[in-house]
Parts: sequence; structure tokens; C-alpha cells
Amino acid sequence: MSSNGDDVPVVRMEKIVKRFGTVVALDGVDLTVNQNEVLCLLGDNGAGKSTLIKILTGIYTPTSGRIAFYGAPVDIRTPAEARALGIETVYQDLALVNLMSIARNFFLGRELARAIGPVRWLDMRAMNERTRAALADVGIHIRSASEKVEKLSGGERQSIAIGRALHFGARLLILDEPTSALSVAETRKVLTYVTSAKERGLSVIFITHNMHHAMMVADRFTILRQGQLVGNYAEGEVTQDDLADLVMGQREV
Amino acid sequence: MNVAALRRGEIQRLLGGSPVTGPFISLIAIFVLFGLFIPGFLSLRTVSNIINATTMVGTVTIGVTLLMVSGEFDLSVGALVAAGGYLFAFNSTGDGSPVVALVLAVLIPGLLGAFNGAILITTRMPSFIVTLGTGSIFSGAVWLLSGGSLFQTLEHPPFYDLMNGRLDIVNNLLGSGANFRAAGVWILGLALVFQYVLTRTRYGNHIFATGGNPGAARAQGVRTNMVKVLNFAISGALSGFAGVLLFSQFRSVRVATGEGVELNAIAAAVVGGTLLTGGSGSILGGLVGVLLISTLRSGVVQANIIPADNFEAVVGVTIVGAAILNHWLRGRA
Repeated sequence: MSSNGDDVPVVRMEKIVKRFGTVVALDGVDLTVNQNEVLCLLGDNGAGKSTLIKILTGIYTPTSGRIAFYGAPVDIRTPAEARALGIETVYQDLALVNLMSIARNFFLGRELARAIGPVRWLDMRAMNERTRAALADVGIHIRSASEKVEKLSGGERQSIAIGRALHFGARLLILDEPTSALSVAETRKVLTYVTSAKERGLSVIFITHNMHHAMMVADRFTILRQGQLVGNYAEGEVTQDDLADLVMGQREV
Repeated sequence: MNVAALRRGEIQRLLGGSPVTGPFISLIAIFVLFGLFIPGFLSLRTVSNIINATTMVGTVTIGVTLLMVSGEFDLSVGALVAAGGYLFAFNSTGDGSPVVALVLAVLIPGLLGAFNGAILITTRMPSFIVTLGTGSIFSGAVWLLSGGSLFQTLEHPPFYDLMNGRLDIVNNLLGSGANFRAAGVWILGLALVFQYVLTRTRYGNHIFATGGNPGAARAQGVRTNMVKVLNFAISGALSGFAGVLLFSQFRSVRVATGEGVELNAIAAAVVGGTLLTGGSGSILGGLVGVLLISTLRSGVVQANIIPADNFEAVVGVTIVGAAILNHWLRGRA
């Protein structure tokens, strides 16, 4: 995207409104993610974080508002369209299918197939090998790609979902509460993937409840409260306590 | 890793690696057990009778299993078997062409199945309720179409034999009371095709994902609604085909044809290792489940352990037992 210059934001969402019937979930929210930046999206339950992200990933359609991707206006109507732009999302509980193997999950929706004439079949061997190699490439080592996901720990599952997003050429990686159900050690590991994604030149939107995790990885913070934008703050501009107060609405900075 | 651990791992893989293994072992065990205690049970006559008794439920279970893996049920299959039977009967007799009759008897129940799926995805009602309702509607439509009466014919075009005639060449070759029919070949062929579809194609991968975690599937671009509608259509089409096979054998069909097959197919799928909650299962396992239940019926009746009228109770106990065994094996795997 050098033609657009390095200062063009990856995503600029402007004046996003989303109503569900009479409920206003988002009331004119702006969100900007710059290139090669980790943006932490903070807010309490019901603040509108998930709704905002689901608009960006094509799950919801905004009631009004504009989205630009690398400066160009876009209309993201389905998750497939978001993925075609290079927006990959790792959802807290919607990441992987537990009853399926790692490789089948890794290539879900992009399965590798071989064909003789009209007869096509899955190339399981290639999918298993490429899954192993791709995950090793981002520092995730698995025992076997044909193992079912249900046998893995929560941290391993998150790692694989993130590894998948990294492998398939995401330009923007969205992590929706990736650490909320993990142990301390597993959390640390997942946070290192956030850092390594940035090192690979990606931008990351990191959604979390946990101010401590946010402080560890963020370049910038965007805070929502009750469907409205509270503000944008650069790293170093605010303390962990400031963030907590802003999220809960106890003071302004 | 020491040798004992290695061996235990291997045994677990053998037992639990494939969902078909558990039910298959049960089938063999039950068959051998009856063979030991019932004189004359271990014969080609018994085997072919067991298989012949599965024409309807075997065909229907293939579609029902596929649908259950994608997380849905179809309680309208019984009515669609009758619909397929009448459509084939009306159009293959008199001046009708049996080939056209076959196409109609598969296509129309298939479309009705797609209609089930369309209602499901637009209303987001549980498929149990939707198909309970549409099953009654389809049954009513069959009643109107048929006038509520039994339809039978004395005609016997060769096409009926192609669908479900006696396999005379095979039976004569095997001798000793063998009575295999064409339906067994059709069912085995269909089961292999759909097992391939489920486990070896992109569409199959999307079926597993749709039933296992629809949200995760959609997030990866899987069109879960389309998967469900298509699976309902397949379930309907196979039900119609079951009606064709039945009519080809008995040359008669009535409104009540197919009654009860809905739950028998679900039972067979579960006995065959398919999860009621979706996301896991096997077509071949479903077929093994069908054979297991049929073997039990045959054995219990022949053994005369309890009054024959009551043999359903034994079948019920086995269904529960098999489900518990599968659950246990899954946990060990």
C-alpha cells in the first residue's frame, strides 16, 4: 500500500451509528487504526466494542456511518468481504470448531482440494503439512495437525486461531477478548503473538477488559462507554488507573 | 514415551479414532452372540433378511445422519417416503415412464426438504418443531393426492427389478437361502458416496463446521444456511428414493408408509456414533446402526426370549446402551 503512503490509516470508521430496534448500541463512534499499530479497544460490558467490531467484520450492517480501508471507502456486508480486504478476526468463543481437527479448522473455508475431472477431494496431507509448517513459522508448535481441537488447552486454541489469521495474510488482525479465559502463562504467550504480529508489519485491534494486558501491548487506546466514544489516548499518555476510570466513567482525562 | 503408553495410545486410537469402530464392534458381537444361542441364525438367509428389513430406514438414515452432523433434525422424512412412493407409483404405472417417475419421486421430496430448510433459516425455529409441523402438512398433501387409499398394481416393469428386485444371480451363486435384493446395493452405494462427501470434500468440511460451531463457521466464510438447506434437500430426496425402493418391491403404497421412520433413523444415527448435538458423525456408522437394530429385531424375535410383540423394548435398551458406549469411547479417545 506504498502508493497510499505510510501515513494513511488502515481503517477509518466515522460517525458509526447502530440501532437494534429502539436500542442505540453505537451513537456516532469514530475509530482509526494506523499502519503497524496495536490499538486497544476498551470498554465495559455493553459499551459497544463488539458491535463496532462486528460492523468492521461484516457481521452487522451499520445504521449509518462511513468506513474507509487504506483511504478507500468500503462497504463491508459479509465476513467474506472483510476477509477479502485482509481483515482477520479471532473471536473469543467463535474461533475454532472443537470437534474438528486442527488442520480442518486451519483451512476452514479455504480448503485445499485435488481434482480429477469433476471429482474433487480434500488434500488432507497437504493441509496437515501446511498447517504444521505455518504454525511453526509463527512460533506455535503442535503435536499433530490431525489432532482434534477439543484436546487442546484454551491458550493453544487461541494460538492456533491467531496463527491462522497471521498465515492467511491478514493486514488487520482483530482479537476479541483473546485472553479472557486463559491462565497467566497462556495469556503471556498470546500477548507475545500480538507483538509478533506487529513485528510482521500488521496492525492489530485488541479488545479487552483487562487494563493490565492493554498496557502491555498497546500503542494507542480507544475507549467506548455506553455506545459513545470517550476518547483516544497514546501509550504513555495515560496510566492503568486512568484507563480504568475512563472505562467506568468516573472521570475525564 | 514408554511401550505401555504407546500401546495404550494405539488401542485408544483403534477404539476411538473412528466413530464407526464402536458400533461396528457391537454389531459383530451381537451377531455372534445370537449365532451362538439361536440354531440356524448364522445363515445367509438371516443375513439377507436383516438387510432386506432395512430398505426404508437405511436409505432415510443416510440423509438424516448428514443433516444431524450439520446440527438439524428432520421429522418429516416419514411423510416424504410416502410422497415418494405415491409419486413413483402414479407415474410409473399405466402409460407412465418409470424413469420420469423416479426423477419426480426424488426431486419433489427433495424440494419439500429444501422448503423445510427455508422455513428453518427464515424463522430460526428449531428444526424439531418445523419438521414436526411440515411432516403433518406433507402427510396431509399425500392424503389429498392419493385420496387416502392404498395404491397397488399388478404391473411389473423391469425397472422395478432394477430398483429393488431379487439379485437372482448372486442368490443362486451363494445358495442356502440367500435372498439379497437390489436395495442393499443402492443403499451401500449411496452410503459410500455420502461418506465421501462428508469426510473428503469441502462441502463435508462445511457440514462438520456448521454443526460443530456455526458462529466459527460463519466467521470463516462458511455459508451455514446454504449447508442446512442443501442437507434438508438431500434428506428429502433420499426419503423419496426410499419410497421408490419400497414400491418397487411391494408394488403397493399407502399414506401410512414411512410412519415411524423419523425416530428410527435418528436412533440408528445415534447408535452409529452421530452426536445428537451435531458436529460429529459418520454415514457408514449410521448404516452400521441400522444393521445393528435390524439384527436385534431379527434375533430377539427368532430367539423368542420375550413375546415378539414386546421386542421393541429390547431394541430400546440397546439403543440407550449403544449411545452410552459411544459416549464412553468418545471420552477415552
